[in-house]
Amino acid sequence: MSSRAFARTGGALLGVLVFAAALALWEAWARGADSFFFPPVSEIGREASDVWPSGDFLSATGASLKRLAAGYAIGAATAVSVGLAMGSSPHVRRTLGPTTEFMRALPVIAVVPIASVILEDADAMRVAVIAFGVFFPVLVATIDGVRAVPPEIRDTAALFRLGGLARSVRVYLPAALPTIFAGLRTALSMGLVLVVISEFTGEGDGLGVYIWTQRFLFNVHGMYAGILFLGLLGFVLNGLFSRLERHMLAWHYGAIGEPVR
Amino acid sequence: MAERVARDSRPSVLREPGLLRRANVAGLLFALALLLLAEACVRLFNLFDSVAAPSDTAGALIEEISDGTLSGEIATTIVTYVQGLALAVAIGVLLGVAIGSSRTIDDATSVVVEFLRPIPAVALIPLAIFWFGLGTPTIRFLVAYAAVWPILIHTIQGVRGVDRMLFDVAATSGVTGAARIVRVSVPAALPSIATGIRISAALALVVCVTAEYFVGTEGIGHYMQDHGAAYRLPELYAAAALTGLLGLAVDVAVRSGERRVVFWVGEERARR
Repeated sequence: MSSRAFARTGGALLGVLVFAAALALWEAWARGADSFFFPPVSEIGREASDVWPSGDFLSATGASLKRLAAGYAIGAATAVSVGLAMGSSPHVRRTLGPTTEFMRALPVIAVVPIASVILEDADAMRVAVIAFGVFFPVLVATIDGVRAVPPEIRDTAALFRLGGLARSVRVYLPAALPTIFAGLRTALSMGLVLVVISEFTGEGDGLGVYIWTQRFLFNVHGMYAGILFLGLLGFVLNGLFSRLERHMLAWHYGAIGEPVR
Repeated sequence: MAERVARDSRPSVLREPGLLRRANVAGLLFALALLLLAEACVRLFNLFDSVAAPSDTAGALIEEISDGTLSGEIATTIVTYVQGLALAVAIGVLLGVAIGSSRTIDDATSVVVEFLRPIPAVALIPLAIFWFGLGTPTIRFLVAYAAVWPILIHTIQGVRGVDRMLFDVAATSGVTGAARIVRVSVPAALPSIATGIRISAALALVVCVTAEYFVGTEGIGHYMQDHGAAYRLPELYAAAALTGLLGLAVDVAVRSGERRVVFWVGEERARR
């Protein structure tokens, strides 16, 4: 093992040690203090191992993921289409600019009560809220990506007399894809947050509903277990997204000379 | 000198041919058309039960601001938001400088940071109620928690990316040891820190209003929850519009602040 690799392993080990020490400290303190709100780590762990595999919890996770998929797909698809139009035409960009800027500045939570009055169904409201939130990061990324398309590529497309639509879909979209993916990644973590927020209100099932319900049951352990699971879910989704991105953008990494990992 | 020449050679604003374009008539007309369309739809199809007409929203906005209700709520929101964000800046920059300048501290904290960072602040809302009770302390905590991560990460990156040569230059002037961090690392990392703060500023506002919505006893988020639940739609829409304006104001304020504080970055960018 080279000394450099050795140092790296040592560093990683130190990180794990500090983490373990923090947990141990919490455990010892919580046992002594006997606080209702800060249960010992071991009890949270036991609760998590009980709750996570249970049927109710898994079906709640499934319901949340289904909403995330629907809202994400609707929001991202709309954003890419609008973004292509806004990115390739200065007229469209100027016309839609102020309206989208204002909507983008709107904290998504403001959409929750508005959407729940319009769409009485809680599920439809949730999908709408997720789609709304996902829309803007993808839109901004798409516009940036299309605007950054090099002039040579634009001229080549013009030379081949490609029409507006063909140019957008066959030239600008692939060229902007790396940037769009960056927006899609931001949108994914945002989508997960919006699933939870939208599930804190209204009835039904889902991870947010689960966590919110535990609050009223004063089941602090259950809340910790649910929140930990959310963190884990975000981590896993992000990892899956990276794999998809590397797969979809393999040509791009090849073109810019970065090794395909 | 070069800067003055550049400024003087620019056409005056009044002579600029793009003045109309800069006012973006098309964009404002589109927004206006959208509002008129909404107004017409609400009136023609009698949708008052599900959507507030823009005219009613404007009425509610004027009324609630002039009697002080909405302006009081938004002031509360701004105060909580600024407090939480300031806390996040203090913690994020201090920790970030420490982690960025020491390999050992970086190694030691890495697992804890990577464990806590993916947990979304809003998911902590129900737990935070138990920790800090209903109301402002909980919201302050959630805002600070959400805002600290971008600032921390950008500070670490900025400090770590400082050009080694700057340290050598500082050493020749006798600046070594801890003074190096304050006089070299932090100024050099400032553009990166500013980016982190800009990202956090937007995020923190969203978290602030969201937290108010769920656990607030006051603030614009609580106002929306209250009026939404009571189906007072014009007031709800007025508050939402005001929140959007606040979001725009924060964006403009943070960007202009960034340009002033790390002005040299903008110059470099413009030159490229």
